[in-house]
Amino acid sequence: MTNLAEAAPASAQATPPARASIRERAGALIGQTEINFRLFGMLVALALILFSFNVWSGGKLIQPGNMVTLAVQACGIAVIATGMVLVIVTRNIDLSVGSLVGFVAMSYAILMTDFMPRVLGMGADFPFRWEIALAMGMGIGLAFGAVQGFLIAYVGIPSFIVTLGGLLSIRGIVWYLSQGAAVVGLDPSFQLIGGGAQGSLGGNLTWLVGGLGALAVLGLLYYNRRQRRHFGFPLRPIWAEILLAVIGSGAILGLAWFANQNFWPKGLADQYAQAHGIVAPPGGLQISTGLPYPIVILIGVTLVMAWLSTRRRYGRSAFAYGGNPDAALLAGINTRWTIMKTFMLMGVLCAIAAAIAAARLNGATLDVGVSYELYVIAAAVVGGTSFAGGIGTIPGAVLGAFVMQSLAYGLSFNGVNSPGQNVAAGIVLILAVGFDTWNRRRGS
Amino acid sequence: MLNKPAVALFATIVVVSAACGGNGATTAPTSPPAATTAPTSAVTQPPASTVASQTAGCTVGVSWNNFQQPRWAAHDKPNIQQTVEAGGGKYIDADANLSNEQQLTDVDTLISKGANVLILLAQDQNAILPAVAKAKAANIPIIAYDRLIEDPSILYITFDNVGVGKAQAAALLAKVPTGNYVIIKGDPGDPNAATFLPQGFKDAGLLDKVTSGAIKILNATGTNYPADYGTFTDAWKTETAQSNMETIIDKATSDNTPINAILAENDSTALGVVAAETAKSMSFVPLSGQDGDTANLNNVALGKQYVDVWKNANELGKAAGAAALALCKGTPMASLTLPSNLLNPDVVPTAGLTAADFQTPGSNTVKSFILQPQPLTAANLQLPIDAGFIAKADLCKGVDATSATAPAACK
Repeated sequence: MTNLAEAAPASAQATPPARASIRERAGALIGQTEINFRLFGMLVALALILFSFNVWSGGKLIQPGNMVTLAVQACGIAVIATGMVLVIVTRNIDLSVGSLVGFVAMSYAILMTDFMPRVLGMGADFPFRWEIALAMGMGIGLAFGAVQGFLIAYVGIPSFIVTLGGLLSIRGIVWYLSQGAAVVGLDPSFQLIGGGAQGSLGGNLTWLVGGLGALAVLGLLYYNRRQRRHFGFPLRPIWAEILLAVIGSGAILGLAWFANQNFWPKGLADQYAQAHGIVAPPGGLQISTGLPYPIVILIGVTLVMAWLSTRRRYGRSAFAYGGNPDAALLAGINTRWTIMKTFMLMGVLCAIAAAIAAARLNGATLDVGVSYELYVIAAAVVGGTSFAGGIGTIPGAVLGAFVMQSLAYGLSFNGVNSPGQNVAAGIVLILAVGFDTWNRRRGS
Repeated sequence: MLNKPAVALFATIVVVSAACGGNGATTAPTSPPAATTAPTSAVTQPPASTVASQTAGCTVGVSWNNFQQPRWAAHDKPNIQQTVEAGGGKYIDADANLSNEQQLTDVDTLISKGANVLILLAQDQNAILPAVAKAKAANIPIIAYDRLIEDPSILYITFDNVGVGKAQAAALLAKVPTGNYVIIKGDPGDPNAATFLPQGFKDAGLLDKVTSGAIKILNATGTNYPADYGTFTDAWKTETAQSNMETIIDKATSDNTPINAILAENDSTALGVVAAETAKSMSFVPLSGQDGDTANLNNVALGKQYVDVWKNANELGKAAGAAALALCKGTPMASLTLPSNLLNPDVVPTAGLTAADFQTPGSNTVKSFILQPQPLTAANLQLPIDAGFIAKADLCKGVDATSATAPAACK
């Protein structure tokens, strides 16, 4: 590898090796860190979007409270997008996610306000009532996902058609659940899933999560290096490892710190101080909210889905099928079961997103989840998932969801109404995927 | 790639879902509290024999645009249907599911099924005009129900939407005469949201107060009234209203300006506003709404919403049903008079029980029955209970009846 001193042309007569330009040398250095360019590019895009809107708003946008709102608003879409990656990777599509979210959200509401107390005899004080409702909702999501997956994988109906039918009929069924009326009044503990000052981890736990995350980054880098040495793969240079370690753990700890800069509203903190006999210092008691529960749920879902897609046979089968369906079948992969599992997974993810949505609303209305499928697909493809199949990453989809949401939030914060937001979202979507396509073509 | 069993299965799914979807509008079980039926049958009986003989064979066709919103199934449809059938007529309907094209098809279907009178809840006041033209060609009189149709030959039966806006703003202005307001509007394509309700706000004096500086609209983006004042909510969606309101609260917190009152145009958006206030742990400031949805009336009882302008849709349905029967008999629109014992006196139009002229924004003059809305606050929540509109248990869910702040209706 050349260092800068050697690269300077020594003499005019010798035929020097083609002088590496600064750009190529920089590219080579960055290449040695083996950072995924696509993901890195999206992080840069996200930062650019937030920074520009921040300037537009006069420096008011990037505050802990605002960023927490933005993140919580993106959670539902991001959770489902992690599953949509696998659906698109296997050359399918799922248009029914919005309707399924609406159905499960209404189910949670009816379960907790009517069905459980009245029919099952589980009153408001029944232990683990909201956990049971959550489990039932996830069961419902799983069941619908299984039905759709069966029709697609085993009966052979194109996924576009099956999930389009799901989109229409499931949304119709929601109406019958409550004759279109809003059902409100969920268990107070369930509501915490939706975030808010009390629906958050709190300062200490957030630091713990941040610390664990930083340690995990270091651990993964170390483990990766060990595996490479073990299997004889080329190692990253030490300086690259250290750089990644510092940036990675620094970013995670920074996020934890930022989340802890969001404090309980004064009224709530004063109530807490009074209730616990604490004398509030002048300026009020500053209680950190930390990471809201929806974000914690999203982190958990992302980790599980990323692990599933890269370290389990199911995930590798899905990518193999997406890359070349015939080869995957001939290689002995049970492709039908893989596809069915993909849609069952989507059902469960929709149930999780529905829990977040219902908790945020403290109930469910007829139109919960409407148009989610469009935002989820946009998030997945902006995150690098290709419609040709076989390509996509889970973290990319989550980043894609955050990019789209930061666009919407930033515009809304600066007073641009929804038509303007929709115009911007559509343009960004086309630009992101167009850039991606051009980049791939250029590289191949 | 499709195999025959799959095609058969697919066809079955399509047929079953079409059957369920098509019949949903007409056979959906309605479950308003039992009390709603009692008051309606008690007051809609002109002598049955004379009306029945004159209107036997009167088919009233209703084209809904958005049957999925709770009020149509719970209040409007049962009352139209009961009034029509009590008068010896026949009721048929169709639901366009928010699609203009579907509504044009629906009107065709209703006409071919033999409708003598059409009641249209228009998805779009201009897109419906081809259907209006067809009905006119077939000599079928048209009632524009709740939403305006820009055509001089229709009968416009609605609640005074401008009056609703005026009642909303007046209630908030009385409670919060100076301070910072947030305006949450409905769907940008709905004339109610964009024009009529803001006109009502202006009539109540909101714009004057803004000009004098007593009131500041935090989410105003310019000085053009009403276009620049307030945030629209696509499709009146609760989740969208929640997200928008959260962003507005963030902006206000960043600017260090308190929010003193929130003028929301209807109940579905008001529900989103309450959810946003809860998510940001903001104390519940005076909030407006309209429609008298159950969840929102409960919020009024709980103190999370201040005023809900109630349009007793039962009454609107009765008025439309009676007008439809009269039009069937051949009564000219100009001399249409509603039976005197039909409507609750609180909602009777200010112009009286005979059809009055109404000047539309598109410069048409149409005959109309403009019913009066009733603003509900914690003080008069007994009204909807007495009218059988809502059950006390639903209204007072979660209210501590012993607390000093509980509304009278819940004690």
